[in-house]
Amino acid sequence: MSNSVFSVISRFVEEYRSSTPNKLKMIDAYLLYILLTGVFQFLYCVLVGTFPFNSFLSGFISCVGSFILAVCLRIQINPQNKRDFLTVSPERAFADFLFAHTVLHLVVVNFVG
Amino acid sequence: MYPFEGLFSLLVLSLVLETQALTPTHHLTTTDVARLQAVLSQPFTDLKSAYYSVVGLSKLGIFVADADETCRFINSNLDPSSVESLFYAAEASQALSGCEIPVTNDTRDLLLATVSEDSTASQIHQSVSALSALGLPLASQEVVSALKARISKEDNVLAIILALQTASRLSQQAELGEILEEIEDLAARLDDLGGVYLQFEEGLEATALFVSAAYSLSDHVDMEPPLKEDQVIQLVNSIFSKKSWDSLSEAFSVASAAASLSNNRFHVPVIVSAQGPAAVSHSHPFLQLQVTDVLCQPLSSASVLVESASAVASKSAILSQAPFTLRDGVFELNFMASQPASGYYQFSVAITGDSRFVANHVELKVKVSTRVAINNMDLSVVDKDQSIGPKTTRVEYPTKAKASFMADSHQNFAMTFQLVDETTGVELTPHQTFVRLHNQKTGQEVVFVAEPDSKNLYKFELDTAERKTEFDSISGTYALYLMVGDATLENPILWNVADVVLKFLDEEAPGTIQAKTLYVPKPEIQHLFREPEKKPPTVVSNAFTALVLSPFLLLLILWFKLGANISNFTLSPSTILFHIGHAAMLGLMYVYWTHLNMFQTLKYLAIIGSLTFLAGNRMLAQKAVKRSAHIVFSFNLKCGGGFFSSPGLNSIQIN
Repeated sequence: MSNSVFSVISRFVEEYRSSTPNKLKMIDAYLLYILLTGVFQFLYCVLVGTFPFNSFLSGFISCVGSFILAVCLRIQINPQNKRDFLTVSPERAFADFLFAHTVLHLVVVNFVG
Repeated sequence: MYPFEGLFSLLVLSLVLETQALTPTHHLTTTDVARLQAVLSQPFTDLKSAYYSVVGLSKLGIFVADADETCRFINSNLDPSSVESLFYAAEASQALSGCEIPVTNDTRDLLLATVSEDSTASQIHQSVSALSALGLPLASQEVVSALKARISKEDNVLAIILALQTASRLSQQAELGEILEEIEDLAARLDDLGGVYLQFEEGLEATALFVSAAYSLSDHVDMEPPLKEDQVIQLVNSIFSKKSWDSLSEAFSVASAAASLSNNRFHVPVIVSAQGPAAVSHSHPFLQLQVTDVLCQPLSSASVLVESASAVASKSAILSQAPFTLRDGVFELNFMASQPASGYYQFSVAITGDSRFVANHVELKVKVSTRVAINNMDLSVVDKDQSIGPKTTRVEYPTKAKASFMADSHQNFAMTFQLVDETTGVELTPHQTFVRLHNQKTGQEVVFVAEPDSKNLYKFELDTAERKTEFDSISGTYALYLMVGDATLENPILWNVADVVLKFLDEEAPGTIQAKTLYVPKPEIQHLFREPEKKPPTVVSNAFTALVLSPFLLLLILWFKLGANISNFTLSPSTILFHIGHAAMLGLMYVYWTHLNMFQTLKYLAIIGSLTFLAGNRMLAQKAVKRSAHIVFSFNLKCGGGFFSSPGLNSIQIN
């Protein structure tokens, strides 16, 4: 049982290494960074306390929002998805990504207190 | 089924409402009438005020003292070329006896010429009144047609009232039917306020003038005005609710209305008021009522009858169909002759004698007072275990018991007495029967209530041990008072019955009693501000800050490993501007966090953002062009060389 799981995982990693374009790997690294940041914030909240609750919420929402926006960017840039995004060029996707981040950070900074 | 139920309940409701007719809640008293006369008797300054004074006073039945002087004044202030002036002079001179206004042909022609459809209703009224007062002939039919035309043109209340007033001066043969109908239309325009008042929104003067005009026209044509009894009473309430008048014209209108309501052929409102308080007792056995018209003149032709009188508490009827006798202008009835018990009685009084009387059924509440006597006042000290028999001392009112009574914690002090009506001996239960114990030394007083039992015998028991908190456990001599009072008692009683010496067991109370002061400064309240929340130690915070920032390092390492570089960085102005703008936006976020508020941030963000947007747009467009060129190039390669070149770009640009 664990054997099959292990083999599936190793197969997956191999496929990932070989067939994923570099650009997408960069974005995946960024996604991992955002994820870890969010996890550590949550860990702090669980262990130490929710004292400035608004700050915790703001930071956590920032991580979640950034993660979502980066996933959107990744989907739109992926050349395999080109047929679904005929009107959206990668540059346009990136511009949207920047604009959405501006709005997100405006709200986050407002709320962090 | 449902409509019938509704109809039935409506019928029942209307029956109930009809049995409770309105009675005037506001009326002029003799002082008010005197004040009205005083207002109208003020010395007059011009012809208009002379008219109001002279004619107003004549309506109240008073004639000006100096008739000749007034007549000279009127003649000297008369302006024969003005219809208004002629009107005032003519009316005033008619009210004075022996005053003549010289009339010329021009005057007569002027007045007759004013009677036309082109003059206002007010002008027609003034000219017709002047012509009639001066005894000059006028063509009634012409006046009627002119009035009808003016009524339809000027549809306001005052114009129609003046038309009514004018019509009452015309010949009875004229066709006044249409103008008579205006009374009903005007009555429909009155505002009903709470079912008590009925008045025009134009105010008191208009309402009063309407009443006087309606009744003078109705009397003239001998047809009852279409006003219901309740409406008449509501009009009385409205007109006579104001007891001081702003202007001479207002006082004049009230005087006219009062005169027409007290002396017309159809409706005479009756004002019934008790002389003094509506109370009888053995010393004052007569219930006296004043029955007058609205001008406080007694109605001598009336006969007053008590239809029924019943006690409020027991609802048993005492009197039925008992007449009042008239003596010195006041109607009185010896109610004590029926020997009523003390209390309140509901009287239903009817005033008959004239079919014109309105509001001639009145409900009155009459109080019967009596004197109270205290019988069988017995004071005793009873042992709690009742081993020793009680010693009863009888005390007679108003003397005080000679010996004082001693009671300590083993004994109870008891008091019994009876309250009876002095004359009839019937037992009474007044509202207030209190027993007050007053400590002369400390000034402390404690009040208890004595309650009657089923046989109306009052009992008061003082258990020394039980009641020690009221006394603050202070032993000493207390003076015992009995207080008896009630609205129907003529002689409230405060009787120092005896002295009682009370001994309490534990004397914990302080030696002196401070009066319970309410008005000293209270102890200061210390406000507890919200405690700031407990923060975790700085070490922990710093550690976690480092932990949260650490993935950034991981990111840089991963990117480096993946081969991120900035080799494709073009140094075009749009690229530089974009990066600067973007960095500025990030800096603005930091400044927003530390210094700014949302509005300022949005302002700066708009400026920087638009620049960044334009630069970024340019830059990304250039990149897009390059990318499509590369795709075309690699496509050509592919087609040309069949090589498999990696799609997309090898170099990644960090943006």
